[in-house]
Amino acid sequence: MKFSRFFSFAGSALLAGFFAGCGRDDRPVLHVYNWSDYIADGLIAQFEEAFGCRVVYDTFESNEALYAKLQAGAAGYDVIFPSSYYVSLMAEQGMLQRLNHANMPHLKHVDPAVLAAVSLDKEMTFSVPYMTGTTGIAYRKDRVPDFEASWRVYGRSDLAGRMTFLDDMREVLGAALKTLGHSLNSTDPAEVNAAADLVIEWKRNIARFETVGYKAGIASGEFWVVQGYNGDVQMVIEDNEDEDIVYALPEEGFAIWEDTMAIPAGAPNVELAEQFINWMHSPEVAAANIEFNYYHCPNTAAYALISDEVREDEMVFVPAETLARGEQIRDLGEHLSLYNRAWDRVKSAH
Amino acid sequence: MKLSRMPLLVSLLVLIFFYLPMGMLVLQSFNQARFGGDWTGFSFRWYSELWARRDIHEATWNTLRIAMTATAISMVLGSVAAWCLHRYSSRLQQLHRSLVYAPLVIPDILMGISLLLLFVHLNVPLSFNTIIVAHITFCVSYVALVLLGRLQDFDESMIEAARDLGAGWGTILRRILLPLLGPGLAAGGLLAFTLSIDDFVITFLLAGPGDTTLPIKIFSMMRRSSPQIINALSVIFMSVTFAIVILSQRLIRPKP
Repeated sequence: MKFSRFFSFAGSALLAGFFAGCGRDDRPVLHVYNWSDYIADGLIAQFEEAFGCRVVYDTFESNEALYAKLQAGAAGYDVIFPSSYYVSLMAEQGMLQRLNHANMPHLKHVDPAVLAAVSLDKEMTFSVPYMTGTTGIAYRKDRVPDFEASWRVYGRSDLAGRMTFLDDMREVLGAALKTLGHSLNSTDPAEVNAAADLVIEWKRNIARFETVGYKAGIASGEFWVVQGYNGDVQMVIEDNEDEDIVYALPEEGFAIWEDTMAIPAGAPNVELAEQFINWMHSPEVAAANIEFNYYHCPNTAAYALISDEVREDEMVFVPAETLARGEQIRDLGEHLSLYNRAWDRVKSAH
Repeated sequence: MKLSRMPLLVSLLVLIFFYLPMGMLVLQSFNQARFGGDWTGFSFRWYSELWARRDIHEATWNTLRIAMTATAISMVLGSVAAWCLHRYSSRLQQLHRSLVYAPLVIPDILMGISLLLLFVHLNVPLSFNTIIVAHITFCVSYVALVLLGRLQDFDESMIEAARDLGAGWGTILRRILLPLLGPGLAAGGLLAFTLSIDDFVITFLLAGPGDTTLPIKIFSMMRRSSPQIINALSVIFMSVTFAIVILSQRLIRPKP
């Protein structure tokens, strides 16, 4: 009978579910919580072998998700990868451990120039830099031959429907604040509101706010001007061998961001977590990650190990004088609601 | 009289609206281009990349384990609940009925947060088991509901007849209840299974380290991964879900 077969299926499924947990090995376990596709292929397996451990590797898609997860009491992660502006917030709330540099000798490779210019946690008290990058504009030079490196391009009505912004409050309002000559961490209500007005004006010309699909859009020529992250854009260029896509950092200024490695309070295996962070800054590993991500891992010993092509690429290694135009995104603290209100106004405007 | 073409037109439009996006997804998963968009050639590249992704395999295995365990347990609990609701109609059962219905209308986020608060408050570490408990809470309702519908056509006099002829409860269960209610139970179980596989919100809130399920994995891949791997995965997922739905419909259909 049909149903009896179904029951034996359900029964064995139940048993499989219960017993699948058995037969585990007793190697120590490291729990890593990282952005998806942010570490070179095969490195995790190498680490497991070198340190005789098992790595449980989970991924998140936004700082908000990471924060919510930890805040809700998901204790159990040993190494997390928050962006630097979230580190300050999390450290303030006692969610991170102070790092013991004596156990991480490779930290001597961390590039002091990047620590000075980009990092928010300059002493590496709670976090170690993993990757830094920029948010700029990618455009198709075959479609927009007269492009000028300025956020003002979003005011051009002849490009209407061919441009996108990231669907990210800080990035978009930040671009407008920079255009008006303010800090992208401004807490002056008048400045933030003026920025929102400017974005509302620009909104008429953009196709949509797009964080995921802009890569496909610019590759296919559906979009001509997109706001995006340097590593993402570079991946599009490499993959399509497309000479027509160009990445530009606007003259008014742009956002510099940094993702870091940190150990959350209550991490079960701090010793292994320290070994992992240390190992991630060993020169070969850092070099592999730079080449995989097309982002800048600030590790001076790794620079010699990467190909000339990547090292001389100004998209990855932004020259100091260009970088000086950039500004780090910082935690807004109590002023966050000011931005939230401005962003709501932008999103609901027609 | 000329028949109106409107119904045909409307159904066609609705079908296109429903299935065109899925068709596009299937098509794109065979596109060689990394970010989709323009067609650059037919390729199984994304399926082979998917094959090589250990993390996705683990997430799939996690999802199936959770779904199978939650389904099996909620089939037992759900059928007992349905039987009680059908047999008795006291005040208590009225309350029972609304409790069984409640998870169908409570938003996922509310259910997830309340369970999370409960577990954190009780100092229960988040793990596989917390996810399974959460999935059972909503799966039970679906199983019970499907089975209740089935019980409405059920002729109680058969049980009385069987008892008159000296059958014990064991025999009645084996020879009468299971054969008649089995298909409904199986259909409810399959419904629960698909719901458990799909769930994102509740699972996200209740997952501990290492308990990444497929929906969580896919969501985290949106930002940085190639959408094409996700497309390939979705096609496989869709095929499995369709197969399960078709199977469950065949089980629901009364035997000729």
